Amino acid sequence: MVRAGRCGEGKTVLNPTIWLLVLAFAAAPVTAVVGGMRPHLAARAGTVMAGLAFGAALWGWLGDPAPVDVAWAPEWGLRFAFELDGLGALYSLLATGIGLTTLVYAGGYAPRHLAHQGRPAAEATRLYGLLLLFMGAMVGLVLAQDLILLFVFWDLTAVVSYLLIGYDRQEAESRSAALMAIVVTGVSAVLLLIGALMLGARYETFAIPEIVAAVGASEGDGYLTGTAALMAVAGLAKSAQVPFHFWLPRAMAAPTPVSAYLHSAAMVAAGVFLLGRLYPILEAGEGVRDGLLVVGLASMGIGGVLALTRDVMKQVLAYSTIGQYGYVVTMLGLGGEAGAAGAAFYVVAHAVAKSALFYTAGAVSEATGETRLAHLGGLRRDLPLLGVGSALAAASLGALPLTVGFFKDELLFHAALERGAVFAGLAAVGAALTVAYVWRFWAGIFLGPRRAATEWLPRSLVLPVVVLGVLGVLGGFVVWPVADLASEAASATILATVPVDPAYHLDPRAENLLALAAFALGAGIVVSRRWWERFALDLSRAGERFGPARGYASLLVGLNGLSDGVHRIEVRDLRARVASVLVPCALLVGAAVLAAPTFGEFRAGSVEWDDLPLILVLLVGCGAAVATAFAGDHLTMALVVSGVGYSLAVFYVFYGAPNVALVAVLIETIFTLLFLGMLVLLPPRVAEFAASRRVEGVRRGRRDPLIGVVAGLFAFVVAWGTLSRPSPAESVASAQIALTPDAHARDVVTAILADFRGLDTMGEATVIAVALIGIASLLRRGDLVALQSREAPQEGRPPVTTVMTQTVARLLFAPTLVVAAAIMVKGYADTGDGFSAGVIAALGVLLQYVAFGHAEVERRLPVHRALYLAIAGMGIALLTTFLPAVFGRPLLTHWPPAGDEALRIGSLELITAVVFDVGVFCIVFGFAVGAIDVIAHGQRAFRRAAV
Amino acid sequence: MIFLLSLGVAVLFGSGAFLILKADLIRVVIGMVLISHSANLFIIAAGLSRGEPPVYPLPDGREISDPLVQAMALTAIVISFGVAALLLSLVYRVYTSHFSLDLDELAEAEEREEAIQELEVFVGRPVRRVPWPEGAAPPRAGAGE
Repeated sequence: MVRAGRCGEGKTVLNPTIWLLVLAFAAAPVTAVVGGMRPHLAARAGTVMAGLAFGAALWGWLGDPAPVDVAWAPEWGLRFAFELDGLGALYSLLATGIGLTTLVYAGGYAPRHLAHQGRPAAEATRLYGLLLLFMGAMVGLVLAQDLILLFVFWDLTAVVSYLLIGYDRQEAESRSAALMAIVVTGVSAVLLLIGALMLGARYETFAIPEIVAAVGASEGDGYLTGTAALMAVAGLAKSAQVPFHFWLPRAMAAPTPVSAYLHSAAMVAAGVFLLGRLYPILEAGEGVRDGLLVVGLASMGIGGVLALTRDVMKQVLAYSTIGQYGYVVTMLGLGGEAGAAGAAFYVVAHAVAKSALFYTAGAVSEATGETRLAHLGGLRRDLPLLGVGSALAAASLGALPLTVGFFKDELLFHAALERGAVFAGLAAVGAALTVAYVWRFWAGIFLGPRRAATEWLPRSLVLPVVVLGVLGVLGGFVVWPVADLASEAASATILATVPVDPAYHLDPRAENLLALAAFALGAGIVVSRRWWERFALDLSRAGERFGPARGYASLLVGLNGLSDGVHRIEVRDLRARVASVLVPCALLVGAAVLAAPTFGEFRAGSVEWDDLPLILVLLVGCGAAVATAFAGDHLTMALVVSGVGYSLAVFYVFYGAPNVALVAVLIETIFTLLFLGMLVLLPPRVAEFAASRRVEGVRRGRRDPLIGVVAGLFAFVVAWGTLSRPSPAESVASAQIALTPDAHARDVVTAILADFRGLDTMGEATVIAVALIGIASLLRRGDLVALQSREAPQEGRPPVTTVMTQTVARLLFAPTLVVAAAIMVKGYADTGDGFSAGVIAALGVLLQYVAFGHAEVERRLPVHRALYLAIAGMGIALLTTFLPAVFGRPLLTHWPPAGDEALRIGSLELITAVVFDVGVFCIVFGFAVGAIDVIAHGQRAFRRAAV
Repeated sequence: MIFLLSLGVAVLFGSGAFLILKADLIRVVIGMVLISHSANLFIIAAGLSRGEPPVYPLPDGREISDPLVQAMALTAIVISFGVAALLLSLVYRVYTSHFSLDLDELAEAEEREEAIQELEVFVGRPVRRVPWPEGAAPPRAGAGE
């Protein structure tokens, strides 16, 4: 039943691949929604969804699935490519099938678990949802045919496993176990990504079939070996193979359904799935398969021996999983048809048996409250059904005849024999270890004297064990479904038809003899416990002492130390940090200047008599800047820095830039007032500090002036070098000047702002709006009062305003707004625009604050709505920007178009560019008023605290 | 003129850089303001032509100032105001939480906070903070409402 051809494209409704993907991904959200409304139905909803997904997977396996292929990011060669091939069918059946039983089990387990911990029952929905999300990620992973897509799902499984392992988030042990799992599997996922990118770079595609074909056609080399090794390490870490195995036993801190699902059938299976999916690439890498063989055998040995030493039930199973996946990796390392077939078969047989044993462990500790084998025993009479079900599963895992597990070992021996007698012997030892610890696990719980009392168990905790146990035995008689699955998966692995035909042979062939030897050896290990126990415990202790877990711990400690150290350096001295940003920047830019082709062509430029005012104003500005730098206190600084701003504004006037000059004057005024307003809020202590020597900083000598001079020199070289470049004959500006009449404007700058480069203005206005939101959330009204009352300033100042001031302010308010409106609307004809209009209007409001105080202004004007005004302005600007797109025009296409006569009211032209400017006005006005209001509000609260 | 303009840009930038390195947060903000001024001056100076304002009706035969850099400088000025106002409110916010604008004191406060957080992890419950640093003036009795 090997799938040869693919059915035609174009099937969507009847394509099981699509249904499987949709159902698997819908499962978690559906369950979350149902659980949100009716928590007690969440488990049932999850079970139904998992069942539907399992049905879709079955349909896909038996039916005729078509691949799904949708462009994702075509320019990078990425596609959403999914195909339900042999590997996909096997692993998606596992993920959804074991997922189904896990959901049934979790439905019984989670409410009890949460009740033990005193957590609300509604939290169970989270567990179901995460389990199903994991199922979806697994299904996506196994169907993905694109390396990057594969990586995305791979990482998703790691993230969800972190949440699942840390489900009991109040337990420190759970949290650190989850962290360890995500560090080990997440870091190794990066290796997978690197490998994927390396392959993508060489073959210029991320499509797995194409890459595999290209690799098959080419000679192996160092590059390919490196890639294969990286990806193999990712797979091995996920499958908890030596030396990355240490995360798995720790992950047993998770609730049992999580362990049963992730650590038998899903998460660890993803690792060997990856090895299977990329097998042709691994094969091309020199020595990678031998590496797999070594790792697999080591995991088999270490997992098996340590499983014998553990006393906690789930720990036994965890080490058993390490050992069992060691078998799978060994078989992939052995290679060939037998290896690939054996690996696929083994994964199925193991997952069915192991999840049943995990369920058993969870059910037993629910019934007795015990987790250690030493405290358990003799439960065969109390829990007969569970005993029988888990006995069947244990028999299957121990590879007894008449179970599906027998064939998994038969295939293992077969694959090992093909490679050599040594490997067959090692395989037999591994099988013997399995028999021994499985017996120890089952017998320790159900045989011997009774050591613990039991309580009633719900059916949902027992039923999955029985079902899976029976399935294991059924597979011992009707083996073809598993054999077919394995055969198809193996075919997809090694890209050749692989027949898998396991059967009972009642003859003394090597496989049978090895199986018998394994049983005998296993029985021997059980009986001779006294003699080897010391050795096994020593091995376990040595592993804890010198093993990779210790390396992980010291890595964490080291990383923490490094982070603390860097943080401490950063915190201790902000100035050092500033310097550490500035200096490399300066070096880079300096290098760029030196490398520029025009370097060295400095021109002094001509100076004429007309330039005298410019030079004088520039001189004043520079003097004010130096004075600011050496100002002794904040007030002086505020005044001289405004001097810098004003002299620059005058400079702009002489430079032929009246628009800029207008905005600069207005902005300087409002900033100076804001700055002074803030200084009032600060107590004298801060002013004393500002005037003291301490502003130089305790850890700093006298290098600041030097750094300032160096920075100035650097700016000088860059500026001079840039300005010296010869200007091109034709500039954009002349075109824009010529176009301005077409835009119904006379002021070129305004036309550029609102029309030609309107999108830039849009972005800049957004910055302002965001800054206002930042200010508003930093200084939220009301929060500050409580804070300020802790440290009162000096006695409240007497009111400084007189009746005269108030009258003038009242008289001036309306005219200011009119001027603002005029500047905005007429901005197209003359100097001015939305920016300056906004600042002028804000100055009008500021005057009211000065004259009447905050309380009065708040009563008279809706100042606390400033944020909404800015957001509304944002909306207006966005609307005028994007509305043309609705009509299929480029963004910011204004009406009326060039050449058409605009509608006029008197001398006023009605054009949409003005609407855009109104948006800008609202943003700037809202911003300025909002900032003023916050500061003024602070002052008022401050005064009140002082009185 | 090019030389003089570059010199102006350099003086503004150097003064700003000097202020940024101070231990006083307000000086840091003013340093940023000066650096913005320097950038605006630089943008305007980078105009390809200089002359009459670019407003219709254009004067005949005389050179027009480059309108593109003016538009850029205009938005740059407004944005630097927005940034400066945001910085000021940040500084004020820092003051209301730590009662200091001294970077050295703030660094000590942060280190102390770290130690407290580690202590909280250790003892497993929140620890009460004393809101003003050592050596600072304590709040006056009855100042709170």
